[in-house]
Amino acid sequence: MEAMNINQAQFEQMVGSGKTVLVDFWAPWCGYCRRIAPAYDQIGKRYGHTLVVAKVNIDDEPHLAEAEQIEVIPTLVLYRDGKSIGSLVAPESKAVIDQFIRETLAK
Amino acid sequence: MNFHPIYDIVIVGGGPGGYTAALYAARAGLDTLVLEKLSAGGQMALTQQIDNYPGFEDGIDGFDLAEKMHRQAQRFGAKTVYAETRKLNLTAQPKIVETSDGTFYGKAVVLATGATPRELGVAGEKELVGCGVAYCAVCDSMAYRGKTVAVVGGGNSAAADALLLSRIAKKVILVHRRDTLRATKIYHEPLLKAENVEFRWNSVVTALLHQDRLTGIRLKNILSGETSIVECDGVFVSVGRKPATELVRGQLELDRDGYVLAGETTETNIPGVYAVGDVRTKPLRQIVTAVADGAVAIHMAEKYLAGDV
Repeated sequence: MEAMNINQAQFEQMVGSGKTVLVDFWAPWCGYCRRIAPAYDQIGKRYGHTLVVAKVNIDDEPHLAEAEQIEVIPTLVLYRDGKSIGSLVAPESKAVIDQFIRETLAK
Repeated sequence: MNFHPIYDIVIVGGGPGGYTAALYAARAGLDTLVLEKLSAGGQMALTQQIDNYPGFEDGIDGFDLAEKMHRQAQRFGAKTVYAETRKLNLTAQPKIVETSDGTFYGKAVVLATGATPRELGVAGEKELVGCGVAYCAVCDSMAYRGKTVAVVGGGNSAAADALLLSRIAKKVILVHRRDTLRATKIYHEPLLKAENVEFRWNSVVTALLHQDRLTGIRLKNILSGETSIVECDGVFVSVGRKPATELVRGQLELDRDGYVLAGETTETNIPGVYAVGDVRTKPLRQIVTAVADGAVAIHMAEKYLAGDV
């Protein structure tokens, strides 16, 4: 399944439930965010059965971005048991995202 | 036993050169695989408005053009795997491509890994690309008509960029870490004469100031240690390029700067291996020259696969 755009309420519900959730904080004006989108959708397909793969448009959800201390985009954050367990800024390849997910979940 | 399909053509890199090779190969009925680490387009995908690729009279967004090239090659059967290529064995038969997502085999390999502009290495640089940070004046200068821009670098391309921008922008500030340009002399006089070009010698960029877009840069004088802020709408980073040829070092012959030695036929020193686009030695690195390479490479590869070379 392709990565789904979520709002603050959905974010709070998903992360608050304790599920493992990967979130890509992005914005439409960010060129590099667009570049990672096809790879991120593939990540959604590959990991869709083990974790929730979502996206947050920080222009639509500025308060959420601020609360999560997102300073640069794209930033990927992995949440488990209601809290952040790792983040990745501007990954240079799909392989780097894969590695980040594997290593962070193994911790 | 695992079954490994052998492709006729494996293309490493999904920029305009790579996807044009894929289009020509797939249309010629060859089994074609493109390996791309992130998304189609390479450097082009980060250019918001491309006005020097013919056929798009109003210009086209680089990311959209990349997706179009991808889909066009796909329509004729070219396959894409999003994977990072880790190791190449180009003399084996078939040639072996090891990636983050498995090993692939090809009778011929097209190397289309491109070149990347060297970055400033300043926080916020990546997300401001297209929003005030640019790496190619030829591509992006028109967006800065009547505005103030900084150019960082002191070589030929920085000097050429500053000169080009001086004819378009209101004001150009050239920032260079030394006290003189490394650029060839022909650039010096027109630059020094241009009334709207200012020089900041012995200076480096230490911060990119921004809201949604770039609003200015912070400079540090490396001799005095003084810092200053320059308000500007754009910064063109022109501190050199690096070809993505680490993978083929020791296998393919490279020039002094690391580009693959290949002429107009795109043939390299290894039979059945072709270098297209920015990664090969050539006088002009543009989308139009990359796509031309892609077509030529497949023309040569067809001869090679037919045993006709």
